[in-house]
Amino acid sequence: MLGIVLAALGLQAAILQQDAIRRILAINVLGVGVFLVFIATAYQGADAPPDAVPHALVLTGIVVAVAATALALALQRRMESSDVDADDE
Amino acid sequence: MNEAMALAIALPLLGGLVAVVCPRRGHFIGNLTLLLNAAAAVWLLSLVMQHGAASQLLGGWQAGLAISLHADALSSSLLLLTALVGLAISVYATRYFHSSQDATRFWPLWLLLVAALNGLFLSADLFNLYVTLELLGLSAVALTALGGKRESIKAALRYLMVGLLGSMGYLAGVAILYTAFGTLDMQQIGARINVNPASEVALVLMTAGLLLKTALFPLHFWLPAAHSNAPAPVSAALSALVVKAGFYLVLRLWTEVFPEAISPQGAVLIGALGCAAILWGSWQALQAERLKLLAAYSTVAQLGYLFIGLALLVSVEEGVTRDILFGAVVLMALTHGFAKSSLFLAIGVVQQHAGHDRIDQLDGTAQRLPATTFAIALAGVALIGLPPSGAFLGKWHLFSTSMEIGQWLLVAVMGIGSLLAAAYVFRVLGHAFGNAAFASRPVNVAAEEWPALALGLIATLLLGLGGAWIWQFLEVVA
Amino acid sequence: MTFDALLLLDMLLAAMMLMLAVAALHSHSLRQGIILFIVFGLVTALAWARLRAPDVALAEAAIGSGVAGALLLAALRDRKPRKQKTPMARPAWQVLTVTYLVIGLALTASWAFLDAQANHAGPRLGAMVQAELANSGVANPVTAVLLNFRAYDTLLELAVLLAALLGVLALGPERTAPRAAGPVVTHLVAWLTPLLIVTAGYLLWVGAHAPGGAFQAGALLAAAGIVVRLSGNPHTGLPSGVWIRMLAVAGCGVFMFVGLASMSGGANLLQYPADWAGTLILLIEIFATLAIAASLVLVYLGGRPESWSSGGKNARA
Repeated sequence: MLGIVLAALGLQAAILQQDAIRRILAINVLGVGVFLVFIATAYQGADAPPDAVPHALVLTGIVVAVAATALALALQRRMESSDVDADDE
Repeated sequence: MNEAMALAIALPLLGGLVAVVCPRRGHFIGNLTLLLNAAAAVWLLSLVMQHGAASQLLGGWQAGLAISLHADALSSSLLLLTALVGLAISVYATRYFHSSQDATRFWPLWLLLVAALNGLFLSADLFNLYVTLELLGLSAVALTALGGKRESIKAALRYLMVGLLGSMGYLAGVAILYTAFGTLDMQQIGARINVNPASEVALVLMTAGLLLKTALFPLHFWLPAAHSNAPAPVSAALSALVVKAGFYLVLRLWTEVFPEAISPQGAVLIGALGCAAILWGSWQALQAERLKLLAAYSTVAQLGYLFIGLALLVSVEEGVTRDILFGAVVLMALTHGFAKSSLFLAIGVVQQHAGHDRIDQLDGTAQRLPATTFAIALAGVALIGLPPSGAFLGKWHLFSTSMEIGQWLLVAVMGIGSLLAAAYVFRVLGHAFGNAAFASRPVNVAAEEWPALALGLIATLLLGLGGAWIWQFLEVVA
Repeated sequence: MTFDALLLLDMLLAAMMLMLAVAALHSHSLRQGIILFIVFGLVTALAWARLRAPDVALAEAAIGSGVAGALLLAALRDRKPRKQKTPMARPAWQVLTVTYLVIGLALTASWAFLDAQANHAGPRLGAMVQAELANSGVANPVTAVLLNFRAYDTLLELAVLLAALLGVLALGPERTAPRAAGPVVTHLVAWLTPLLIVTAGYLLWVGAHAPGGAFQAGALLAAAGIVVRLSGNPHTGLPSGVWIRMLAVAGCGVFMFVGLASMSGGANLLQYPADWAGTLILLIEIFATLAIAASLVLVYLGGRPESWSSGGKNARA
């Protein structure tokens, strides 16, 4: 449940924010939200062992998110270094 | 069969890895890998034709626990499309990327892109599809950024952000599906699913995410900039192959996983969006001043046809009509793949020789680059849907099915779309055949030009004349 | 008593996550936002731990907070301190429409999710994992899933990391290294780096039967590299030329080789022979850790280092 709220927060910010780095943060928060939904599904209570498959999926998701973040930041850096004092965007 | 599937994925992946380690041999590694890949794709296709559809459970574990790969008529034909178009693009790219620097950066990413496409078409596991989608997206974005200009970088960044939003939508849907049905295997979910709020919402989420990545109107806003500002071989790959991957997934999901959950309203919505895509895309293409922008908008429009086909598919009952329609959609997808890549490669040749791609300054191209102009003409024929191209057969069936079920609006829109396509194609050709200010000798750059020509020929002649084969194929395997 | 305390802790965690997320996304200064995001990541890691997902918690702390945080802060530092043009605020109607749409979407999704939980048909895959765990070669179920049952996903994931790395490398040269740091930092780094490396090795080794594994170990190793870099060392401890390139592809490559090799006996792709499974998994994990570490350090560098394309001696641009 919390996951969905987080995801919603992230989504709203991702669409509305204009600064690229903020958008990247927002997409990451969105990601954490979705991951939370997965892990919540995996939780079987305090006694039974949790379902390991969503854990693996979320691990993969975290790595993918970081990879995408790195690429996005590099693109943003290249873009910023190429406009000296551009006024648009 | 297992080996063929494994090869299809392993070859480009390994090729990419080798290309990273030995950057100076990029051209050789890339072309060799794509050649071998094409052989593997043909092999897989022939195996599927002989033995029918097949699955493979990776790791040998039981279904559900393992990731399963699935090769059937649809996936193996798309695999072949990727292989052939990919091979042509590789040959072209060998000449396009003069400087060793660009070549070093292109080849590994390009090979990873092909690996992602192959993996995507063969995968039958929802989460695995997510990973292949991400691989596809990241490599496509990185390739787009190779253009180097500020517009390319900006377009690439936007493509990345949009792509990530789409992936998250898809992943959210997968999360809900897993919670509800406890498996990630597409066939298992297809068997267990029933109409309940969870599956409906998951369907919407996943479709919306994928539509964002496939650029269906109105979620297409990122496409024209990305496809028109990337280097020519990359644009060809993006328009011909990458967007097809998104469409393929929507097709698979709608027909195999969610068939019951689709409501008529959903189909109508998709159909309406498809119509809007055709009209808007064609109109923008007509007004475009640059060739690449025209081609990019044309992609937006052509995707509209595909989605109209999808809408029709889910509205028609099971039976002969549906099978024919399915084949028509596949045929249109294949034809567009060949035609659009041919167009972009040809545009690349023109751009390199003329130094620009402005349409109104194209006069005399026919004289200087006859083969390329012919390729543009061939591609144009396929985009309009004139006989004997494969698109003609495809559109014919879309038309007739729409008329059969009384959807006259669809017929009208598709007709208008075809007319607009004719208009923008002839506009380009008109300029290309115009008289140059001074006569110039034809330039002979065979290696650059023949990939575009070959693709155009396939789109227009091969698929058109041989188009009937696809229905036999689908029937045999289905 | 215990029950109440834990519930309170969980509610506190949830509330903190929400507040941190809002604060991070809407803070006035970007630097503050990034720092809050890092804290958000750490609190998330705690949440994972509470939800009995220790492997994920480790990965979130190391990768989601640590590496991502380092990347974000470096990106912030890159921004030229020119006069930041304050972006025009979005018109109110846009903000409201999007917010309402998103709220609607969230409500629908919640309804769907709750329905899914209530009516879920049949067992989830966890039971199957537990059943087959003994045959997988490792005792940690998450490692078993990642490197055996669903190894193909991990293989592709390594390819994703490689694609991102290649993209970053293609965009330009690396950032200039920080100046050599003062004696305190240098000594700290000299002490910290081997500690990180050893811990990484431990995580890798222990991942077979306890929380840990290649990704967490790789991230920690990358942290060592980043720390070395921050102390002013321009080489960041990475080899040069063909070795660095091989290192970057080694994870994916070794994985692929093992997967293909396992087909030679007529088995499916990535079907390890049962008695070799544990060893093969460890082998793959070793190379994956190295590759992940190298890739993460390289993307932290922000671009192509001099050493990447050199044949060993002379560097080409």
